[in-house]
Amino acid sequence: MTSGRLIVVMFLVFIVEGTLVPWFVPESLTGRIIPHFSFIFVLYTALYAGRHKALMFGLLFGLLQDIVYFGSLLGVHSFAMGLLGYLTGLLLAKRRVTMMSALSVIVVACMTYESILYAVYRVFRFTRESYTYALVDHMALSTFLQLGFALAVYVPVRRWMEKASHPARKPENEED
Amino acid sequence: MIELFNLMRNKRLFVLMIGLILFIAALGFSLRDRQLSAPEKFVNDSVAYVQQWFYKPAGYIAGLFEDIGNIRSLQRENEQLRTTAAAYARDKIKYNVIEKKNEYLEKALNFTERQRNLNDYDYLIAQVVSVSPDPYNPTIKIDLGSENGIKENMAVVSIDGLVGIVKKVSAFSSNVEPITSLDEKSPSSKSISVTVLGRENISFGIIGTFDHEKGRFVMNRIPENDPMIVGDTVITSGLGRVFPRGLVVGTVETTPQAGDFGLTKVASVKPLADFNRLTEVFVVKMAETEEETP
Repeated sequence: MTSGRLIVVMFLVFIVEGTLVPWFVPESLTGRIIPHFSFIFVLYTALYAGRHKALMFGLLFGLLQDIVYFGSLLGVHSFAMGLLGYLTGLLLAKRRVTMMSALSVIVVACMTYESILYAVYRVFRFTRESYTYALVDHMALSTFLQLGFALAVYVPVRRWMEKASHPARKPENEED
Repeated sequence: MIELFNLMRNKRLFVLMIGLILFIAALGFSLRDRQLSAPEKFVNDSVAYVQQWFYKPAGYIAGLFEDIGNIRSLQRENEQLRTTAAAYARDKIKYNVIEKKNEYLEKALNFTERQRNLNDYDYLIAQVVSVSPDPYNPTIKIDLGSENGIKENMAVVSIDGLVGIVKKVSAFSSNVEPITSLDEKSPSSKSISVTVLGRENISFGIIGTFDHEKGRFVMNRIPENDPMIVGDTVITSGLGRVFPRGLVVGTVETTPQAGDFGLTKVASVKPLADFNRLTEVFVVKMAETEEETP
């Protein structure tokens, strides 16, 4: 299995989202476009490699993010990524996932992810802004960034993951 | 009751519930004020070690394009800097004389060692290694840690002014919370006691909240008869003994208005430091004293 390689790639993606992405977001939009690229990889794992793996990676990389950028709360990202990875895998297990449905699932999952983050920080009183403000301020814009990233890596990731989980079967055409 | 048993038999839901409870417990646990544990420090330091290879080179590349755009304004800036340098040379002579005199007076008045070292600061240069991708937790990681003498609650400044507070310290890296996440109502936030440059003994205020929608600090508890005016430079007063004295925070933007109860006034302060795209910051290390800062 290529779990080891997947972990290495996801770790690199995790590094990139905290170091490179802030430089390429326009200055007027900093704080409003926030990358969650490792979460996209968790979702792809859920879609093409099974929900248990997705749960594991979600918990692992969520925890990594929680620890590395620990400010005040530990476990928010771990919880959100693990839960959403597992649920996505549960809903779409053993189904053929086309590109359109994969992307729409990713959009819904990203919005839910942002909403969970908002809810937890709101409950613990780290933010006081209203949900509509948060939605307009960063959730919608960040989801667009996530969608763009998901599109960019869709073809290589899918081919790679399907090869990893069904070594015998050849990668199929994308438009089915 | 039977329904509940059926629910328990559903293993998946049961595990999910247990997981939920565990996570809520972990969240509550992490809220406590505590030092980082050894595994956390290890993960922090190793990730920060990898991150430092990425953040700065990306900054150089992004900065290159900006520099080409800024080439026109360079000449004007150069002229400005020359006048500032001339003024600085003049002030330097004055400063030396006053410092000598101050030292002499402190000796004459029998200042204790602690009192004398109160305003001695060291500036440690730190490189930023990454910025948190989380809208509500905008932590900045720097590449200095407890091995370099960093402690919790030290002030972090950039060339322009106060940037943040050291929140968590590992051995070779630490997490800085930018002062834009100050909030009086949040459970673990700090407040900064400030004053105005040039009227340090007259003006007073406390900055405890950053208004994200306006991008301004809210300075409150300003005394009724404070002579503060728009455009004044707001600096830390050092009264709380957490922050050193004289770090620039911002400029006053509105004349103080009557506050919540009418006893004190409230004004909004425009931050001077740029919190985005930081590469080099300075950690302000106060002189070692026997007692810990609170």
